Amino acid sequence: MHAFEYLRPETLEEALAFLAGREGAVPVAGATDVWVGIQGKKIAPSALVSLRRIPGLAGIREEGGAVTLGAATTHAAVEDSALLRERLPALHRACSAVGSRQVRNVGTVGGNLCNAAPSADSAVPLLLYDAVCVARGPGGERAIPVAEFFLAPGKNALDPGEILVHIRVPAPTPSGRTYADYWKLTRRKAVELPILGVGVRVSLDGDGVVRQARVALGVAGPTPLRARAAEAALEGRPLTRETAAAAAEAAAQEAQVRDSWRGKAWYRRQMIRVLVPRVLERAGALEGEV
Amino acid sequence: MEEVVRFTVNGEAVSVRAGAGWNLLRVLREGLGLTGAKEGCGAGECGACTVLVDGAAVNACLFPAPEAEGRSVVTIEGLAAREEAGGVGRLHPIQQAFVDHGAVQCGFCTPGMVLSAKALLDRSPEPDEAEIRTALAGNICRCTGYTQILEAVRAAAQARREVPRG
Repeated sequence: MHAFEYLRPETLEEALAFLAGREGAVPVAGATDVWVGIQGKKIAPSALVSLRRIPGLAGIREEGGAVTLGAATTHAAVEDSALLRERLPALHRACSAVGSRQVRNVGTVGGNLCNAAPSADSAVPLLLYDAVCVARGPGGERAIPVAEFFLAPGKNALDPGEILVHIRVPAPTPSGRTYADYWKLTRRKAVELPILGVGVRVSLDGDGVVRQARVALGVAGPTPLRARAAEAALEGRPLTRETAAAAAEAAAQEAQVRDSWRGKAWYRRQMIRVLVPRVLERAGALEGEV
Repeated sequence: MEEVVRFTVNGEAVSVRAGAGWNLLRVLREGLGLTGAKEGCGAGECGACTVLVDGAAVNACLFPAPEAEGRSVVTIEGLAAREEAGGVGRLHPIQQAFVDHGAVQCGFCTPGMVLSAKALLDRSPEPDEAEIRTALAGNICRCTGYTQILEAVRAAAQARREVPRG
């Protein structure tokens, strides 16, 4: 392993100063992905700047219906949160499915986003919830909608020297009943990246018409992405098996799936067709057997 | 970049000189001679290196050594009751349940399995089947097929319920 410093600043200002003063320094919280990358010789940072001692970077807060997660909140904290299980069920499901309990006790939501893998489990639900990533850097604070946070596989939208500090999920605009869920398609039940990730969130009015729809996919493009044609196919229409199937088809068409060793493109495309309606069923928005 | 890490292991304060890039697994095995935690994969996927840090199960192979500073670590060596003068050390109830239920074959996964089970029961004393499986999902066993391990954990949970612990 190449030599690198491991720094533990106690304030955000100290962390920013460490990053500014060292080329090749990387901010980390749980450091799980980064550590694996270093051992596998895929990355060679000059220094890891641990954010774990900085107060206020971990934790879940609710204020006026909006939920804020500190970037250094572990997946386990999300898994154990009754508040998030109730308010952000798709995110709760996703974080609970990351790796193993051992990984979840250390790995964080912020780290998952910053690692910017196309498969990032926490990214798909955060797209459903219109989350905003808040970063701090030498220039001050910046809000980046999660849909703009991923630029390419492994590349996030942070500037050098910037740190993701929290993720804000805005209060839902009141519009009837909302259903949301995330399906992580895997070959086994744990310690696995998804073959495909499918998230759907719909808000229905009293007549069962979809007022707002969000469909998001993981491992269906170079970054986690929203399937906007699928959303358009749902909005303004009553939610039925037929409209769900049409939305699934639209999502399958707009997905940029590829062959990889975990699955072929044709399989991913077909599973989008299968899982969009199934996610709606499991979320309780559509009647049927799951 | 070498640094001294001061923390508590199995109730004892220790101070270990960790090399650059050391993880907690190396600190425990090479720094302290606590070889109960094993390196199975080195990538956080098999759980053979599982130890408890402040009560939470973690993969020691991915835990940066400096992050152990000030924390309380429990390894498999810390579970059995110490020998009293003239007496015999007693296995922790979870360890005993593993023995009683044939849940140990080669033993390589066992320290990690036992500690994952301990972390679960400390947090959730009456776990249902799904919770047990989820808690152990990060520990791979190549020998047993898991059946006896799950029985042992169920039995340990049951035994805990029957004997109120202080």
